[in-house]
Amino acid sequence: MSKVTIEPNLYESAKKAAEVAGYSSVDEFVAHCLESEIRRLKVEAAESQVADQLRGLGYLN
Amino acid sequence: MMQMLQNGGIEIVTDQVRTADPDNPRGYLEYEAVKDIGKDASWLPQTRGKAFKMISLLLYHLPPTEQYRILFMERDPEEVVRSQEAMLQRLQRPAAPHTEMLESFRIHLAHLRAWLETRSDMSVMSVDYRDLIEQPVMQSEKISQFLDFRLDVAQMSAAVDPSLYRSRSGQTR
Repeated sequence: MSKVTIEPNLYESAKKAAEVAGYSSVDEFVAHCLESEIRRLKVEAAESQVADQLRGLGYLN
Repeated sequence: MMQMLQNGGIEIVTDQVRTADPDNPRGYLEYEAVKDIGKDASWLPQTRGKAFKMISLLLYHLPPTEQYRILFMERDPEEVVRSQEAMLQRLQRPAAPHTEMLESFRIHLAHLRAWLETRSDMSVMSVDYRDLIEQPVMQSEKISQFLDFRLDVAQMSAAVDPSLYRSRSGQTR
């Protein structure tokens, strides 16, 4: 498993948020956050590429 | 689809700005303002009871102030991308790499489908492009039912022209 370093304040915030949201650990919470963000960025990049192609076809301004 | 709806008796919102060309010999039946809906949707209330064409990416911009019935045209993504590439080639414009574009298009569709399920103001009927070509009467009946039986099914199905089904999987015409 790889390790990531984060600021102590951010860790404390993550710990509290994980407890409130019902995660079993901070690790699980952080992993879930990263997965969500990676998914969002993937969709954003894909839709940007689709938009560029459709703009070339005259379907978008 | 737009020709079908028009034949069936639905008023189409179009400005005829984009005219027929080799890619779409019957014309596009588009409305230019649709492309800018993200910036200006003030024209939308005037389209109640009518139909307009919109690419899937623009659905995100439809405001929740109206009720929508969406006929979502489904076509094999491979055919869609190939068709786009053929059009871009004729227009002498660059196309994104095929495999990359195909993957992006699939990601977009998956995301959009999930998003549509969250919109209570949108009723969606998926219409398979191939089914429409191969069974125009049956598909016209389903569409008419979705639109509260408002359409002339015989006239609708008569608008389907299988010769316009190009770039289908396994062949390019």
